[in-house]
Amino acid sequence: MPFLWLSVFKKMTSETQGARRSTEPLDLRDLIETIPALVLCALADGSAEFANRAWQEYSGRPLQELTGSGWQTTIHPDDIANFFHESTVALVSGKSIETEARLRRADGQYHWFSIRKTLAVSRSQNSEPSLRTLIACEDIDERKREEAARRFTEEKYRLVVETASDVVISMDESSTIQFANPATTRIFGYDPAELIGKPLTILMPEFLRKLHEAGFKRYIATGQRHINWQGTELIGRRKNGQEFPVEVSFGELTDNSHRLFTGFIRDISERKQAEEIRKQAQKAIQTTQAELARMSRLTTMGELAASIAHEVNQPLTAINNNSNACLRFLANKNLKPDVLRRALEEIVADGTRASAIIARIRAFIKKAPAEKSRLDVNEVIGEVVAMMAHGFEENRIVLQSELARALPPVLGDRVQLQQVLLNLIMNGTEALTAVTDRPRLLWVESRIDDSGDVLIAVRDSGTGLGLEADRIFTPFFTTKAKGMGMGLSISRSLVEGHGGRLWVTGNSPHGAVFSFTLPADARSPS
Amino acid sequence: MTGTPVVFVVDDDPSVRSSLKFLISSEGLQVESFDSADSFLRRKPPDAPTCLVLDVRLRGLSGLDFQRELAAKNIRIPIVFITGHGDIPMTVRAMKAGAIEFLTKPFRDQDLLDAVRIALERDRARREQEKEVADLQQRFKSLTPREQEVISMVASGMLNKQIAGQLGVAENTVKVHRSRAMEKMHAQSFAELVRMIEKLKSPSEKAS
Repeated sequence: MPFLWLSVFKKMTSETQGARRSTEPLDLRDLIETIPALVLCALADGSAEFANRAWQEYSGRPLQELTGSGWQTTIHPDDIANFFHESTVALVSGKSIETEARLRRADGQYHWFSIRKTLAVSRSQNSEPSLRTLIACEDIDERKREEAARRFTEEKYRLVVETASDVVISMDESSTIQFANPATTRIFGYDPAELIGKPLTILMPEFLRKLHEAGFKRYIATGQRHINWQGTELIGRRKNGQEFPVEVSFGELTDNSHRLFTGFIRDISERKQAEEIRKQAQKAIQTTQAELARMSRLTTMGELAASIAHEVNQPLTAINNNSNACLRFLANKNLKPDVLRRALEEIVADGTRASAIIARIRAFIKKAPAEKSRLDVNEVIGEVVAMMAHGFEENRIVLQSELARALPPVLGDRVQLQQVLLNLIMNGTEALTAVTDRPRLLWVESRIDDSGDVLIAVRDSGTGLGLEADRIFTPFFTTKAKGMGMGLSISRSLVEGHGGRLWVTGNSPHGAVFSFTLPADARSPS
Repeated sequence: MTGTPVVFVVDDDPSVRSSLKFLISSEGLQVESFDSADSFLRRKPPDAPTCLVLDVRLRGLSGLDFQRELAAKNIRIPIVFITGHGDIPMTVRAMKAGAIEFLTKPFRDQDLLDAVRIALERDRARREQEKEVADLQQRFKSLTPREQEVISMVASGMLNKQIAGQLGVAENTVKVHRSRAMEKMHAQSFAELVRMIEKLKSPSEKAS
């Protein structure tokens, strides 16, 4: 390839002539040797006439190796073609040009250089004008690397933004969209290109547009935000007009006078739907639970009624028998006064017994309040224990009550608490009926616990729970042949409804302890 | 020979127990009451018609379980159940196991007394029958082996001639065995002898 090289020495000389005139004569070569840039002067045939010290030091070669075409070996082989092509362009245009190329360092590594070439015609007084090229190179390797790193980072972020499943959108301070990622197509139905230059309000339903405009304007003016910028749930509007729930987060970037806002918009239709379904399911469960609780209450009441009927039946039967027997003796004229007296005494005693039972039931029903009231826990325990007395006797269970005196009152629903206690005591009774080799003992205790709550415990010497202890509070889990598995689950919700806790522990050496707490009434004077 | 009938009452409620005793005694019946199944079992059974008025709900053991226990011990006493709240399955179970009646408290006095009367009558009949069979067995045992053999064959419908052929004896000999056996068994007629043999067979067949 034929190259023409011009020297710029003449030009440089003429440029500095004024200075030389006024001061000491200056050897330009000395000046060039001192600058950190790599400088080389090439002739028209491409051979170097001169390379400065910086060039020599960088390439690690003495001047004699660089002069001629030797210097060209310092250019990276891949960059040579471009290097000389640019020179040709420079020649044709007659301007100095800039390019970039890799130059070999003494240790064999290549660094990127910014290269400036200037063509110049040199005219000696008595010779033909000749062309020279002055080549000045500046090491830009570090800048290049930084640039590459920055570009990589940018690319990385671009990739994240491009592939994000959420919409990423940028707008300027006039709320005009500057950037939109491809997710806008899927979520809003707009191509990113369609959105650039449009106001952000295009993505909002009518009623939000005014709000946004006013709120955003106020923010720009006062810095006061009209919505929370992190995870606010709003309504979006698709290109087809469909509105859907979105979650929006915004960030602001200020660069000198520029303000850029980047928003992340997530389509939460599915999440909302799932939430709705879950809410409905939860409501259904609550309804079912309430229904089951009601049923269980009825069942308990039914069992109670049967038990009461049996108790009332006993004295009634005795009264009937005694009266009928008297009538029969009388019919046979064989009723002796002392027999009659004894019979009447028994009749009176049984009548009294029957009315006592009725009075107890009436008290039980009357005390059932519609809402919570201040209750003496020991009183509630006493009522339930009285109801269960027959069951204890029937199953040969010895009951021991250990009730703390002067307990603070609790705020509660008497019937519900009776139900909980009844349930725990019935469970204890059932656990004890399987016991044949030791006394059947049941304890009912009340006391104040460490946190000042009222604690009630039902303890039995029954068969215990073993590995099933964890599961017994789960609805429909039962260890009983005929159990429904709701008793403890309902009891727990009733106790929790009173702000208390219900739990089970093992009793030593046999059986289980069911304990529950009830917060003492805050209005309590004690 | 047979003693006065006795009605046993087992109920754990003292006032019900005492009133039952009083009511049943108004019929001129002898009554003994117990507060539990165990104390009843400790009483030696009298040689007389008896029945048991039993509460279903007893302390510890249920009346129905007690009924089964009595059957297992071969104590065949008729039972009248009384209960505070009887349900159909419970009633069916008790009746299937041979209960006379299942009364729900409070019951009509006449119903209980009727049931008691039926129970005693049934026990009396059973005892009579058992006694008759025991007598027959006694008489049958007093026969010689050859007489036993002959009347068993007669009862099965064989003719004297056939019996003689089978036993290898003269027909007259068979006739002599037969008339002696009838005499020892106190049979007035040939038909009565056949009935006696049937009665003797039935318990042993039942037992097998």
